[in-house]
Amino acid sequence: MFKKDLIRFMNDKTAMMLTFIVPIVLIIIFGNIFGGNNTSRGKAHVIFVNKSNSEIAKLIEAKLDSSSNIQLIKKYRVEGTDSILSFTEAKAMEYVRTGKHAAAVVFPSDFLLDTSATMNIKFYYDPRNEIESSIIQGGIQQTIFSQLPEIFPALLARQADNFLGNTKANGFRNDMANMVSSYFNVPKDSILKFASTKITSGLLKQTSSDSTKNSFIENLINFDSEQLVGKDLKNPQVTRIVGGWAMMFLLFTLTGIATSLFEEKQEGTLRRLLCMPVTRTEILLSKYLFSLSTGIIQLMVLFVFSWAIFDVDIFTNFTNLLIVIIISASAAVSFGMIITSHATSLSQANGVATLLILVMSAVGGAWFPTFLFPDWLQVVAKFTLTYWSVEAFQQIMWRQAELSAISLNLLILIAVTVIFNLYAINRFNKGKIF
Amino acid sequence: MLKIENLTKNFGKITALNNISLEINSGEFFGLLGPNGAGKTTLMNHLIGFLKADSGTITYNNKLVKFGDKQIKRKIGYVPQEIALYQELTAYQNLKIFGSLFKLSKKELSTNIDKALELVQLLDRKNSAVKEFSGGMKRRLNLAVSILQNPEVLLCDEPTVGVDPQSRNAIFEMLQQLNKQGITIIYTTHYMEEAERLCNKLAIIDNGQIVASGSLTDLLNTLDRKKTIKIIKTAETESLYDKLCEIAVVNVFDFKYEIIPNNEFQKDSQLYTYFEKIGLSSNLIEVSSASLEDVFLHLTGRRIRD
Repeated sequence: MFKKDLIRFMNDKTAMMLTFIVPIVLIIIFGNIFGGNNTSRGKAHVIFVNKSNSEIAKLIEAKLDSSSNIQLIKKYRVEGTDSILSFTEAKAMEYVRTGKHAAAVVFPSDFLLDTSATMNIKFYYDPRNEIESSIIQGGIQQTIFSQLPEIFPALLARQADNFLGNTKANGFRNDMANMVSSYFNVPKDSILKFASTKITSGLLKQTSSDSTKNSFIENLINFDSEQLVGKDLKNPQVTRIVGGWAMMFLLFTLTGIATSLFEEKQEGTLRRLLCMPVTRTEILLSKYLFSLSTGIIQLMVLFVFSWAIFDVDIFTNFTNLLIVIIISASAAVSFGMIITSHATSLSQANGVATLLILVMSAVGGAWFPTFLFPDWLQVVAKFTLTYWSVEAFQQIMWRQAELSAISLNLLILIAVTVIFNLYAINRFNKGKIF
Repeated sequence: MLKIENLTKNFGKITALNNISLEINSGEFFGLLGPNGAGKTTLMNHLIGFLKADSGTITYNNKLVKFGDKQIKRKIGYVPQEIALYQELTAYQNLKIFGSLFKLSKKELSTNIDKALELVQLLDRKNSAVKEFSGGMKRRLNLAVSILQNPEVLLCDEPTVGVDPQSRNAIFEMLQQLNKQGITIIYTTHYMEEAERLCNKLAIIDNGQIVASGSLTDLLNTLDRKKTIKIIKTAETESLYDKLCEIAVVNVFDFKYEIIPNNEFQKDSQLYTYFEKIGLSSNLIEVSSASLEDVFLHLTGRRIRD
């Protein structure tokens, strides 16, 4: 009896695929995302503008340049030309607002004045990916703390001057320089060099204004954060994920409908239809139109539900949302058609579809933001339908984007739809499928 | 009316139809008889435009039938081997869905649906889901779907597979009624008795080739003997097996031996003298008229259900 079950299982390629290949592929993806196999996670890309003349600002910039978890973007290409310019603060804000990048870091001209005890950093962000914003802020702090420990004695000394007065502070500086030098193996002279600043009234005023902060460390690096996008969203968490999950379930539903051609074949109804005065193309198109209608209705129901229950704003940019829904549904149906046109049986079609849908959802950003992936996986993500669709949904719902902002996404989805469907129709008409 | 000339179809290295030629005239009840895998369904698939031949032609009323020809499809009804119905829908919904593909007027479609339901005696169950039907009822509805457009030709691909004798008889009567109304029927089967009962013209197909065709009488006339001799299997007859083989080809079945005498024992008197000589009791001998089964055996050297 055991042998019987074993033989049947071994002969069922779909069961084998769902039992072994699907989990292995997903483990590989999860492993890469969460660093389980020691591959480096992709760097968080951030626009960087340095307006400060401070020597320390330049030092920090150099250290951030070589950071393993942050990639500074300092230049941009002017649209429609070959000229490449350095980012200004205004341009950086525009790029974040339009979703071209998730965040921008600006070292302002008052980044670190000779007398100040705090480094001021402006941080413009789009909280569409909150994790990414946190990674960038954490990455900057980590780089400064680990790569430039000499800065802290200076800042601490300035704060000491502020509280203790110059004479007592000099003693404090010496003690601290000795201590830091012994523990962190940093030359004492370099610490004292940064710690020689005089107290000014400006510094007193500044520290006074920061006195509401509880953390001493926070006083050393002041992130002046400004959320540029999505401030008015009532439920940003759901708004962020609804497109991804909707797309995944859409793929399952529509692939199911497309592969129902196999069921019709098994039941004999497909052959009966083919014996009637209808062409193969008409049969396929009717299946396509039904799938498309179902997909559009399914997505509408999901979005209306998210509006009714979670207050997700679907009406401000409703026309564009509808366009993305229709094009995403078309692409999802064509995915089902291409699976159907290549499978040899219903079980094979279902097995392959399950594998591809789960992988596309994981890799395409339906489950996690793609910036968490290693660089190579971020490139792979762009070969999935899910990526282009999820990005389009987020642009539309998160920042109420115009169609022009997602034109590339829509063009790719339409191109995929046309190519996949023409291919499937060709195979169906030649009788290669059924 | 329907002319098939030199039709050949290969599936890879397998030749499913090998240079088949047939002519079916208007109003005939034409039987295509052959064992499973002989090529009957493949031939049907070509007639309904489901398959494209590698070579050869099919003409209908002197017009070449092309692959997927919509005009021809309007004139030909098809009763498939399987129950090709949407099980979760009602009988009426099935008929309406399939009937609407013929682009009939609403009134004409409605009339044709009622006529078809009446013919297959399912008018009172038209609003029941197909999945609630018995096997026989499903078969009848399967037939009803095929006649919605008032076809000139009805192709029936083993339409009684798995049907109880009562429903089978009902289907036979319905088909005979349709034939009387002028519909040409092409009927495939591997049941000899069905072909003998229904068809006024027959073709025997084996290994993708037509081995004989004509009326039942024509086919029976190909036999040297018009009678078959069978001997009931008992301990006594089993001991005589070797002696029977000396004068005849003996086909062994579960309960009987079939005797096909050699040339020197063609006369009944010679045969019975021999049986008496070897001690075979006369009550173990059965003599019956030759059937299509015998024709098939004669032509192919094996029985149709081998």
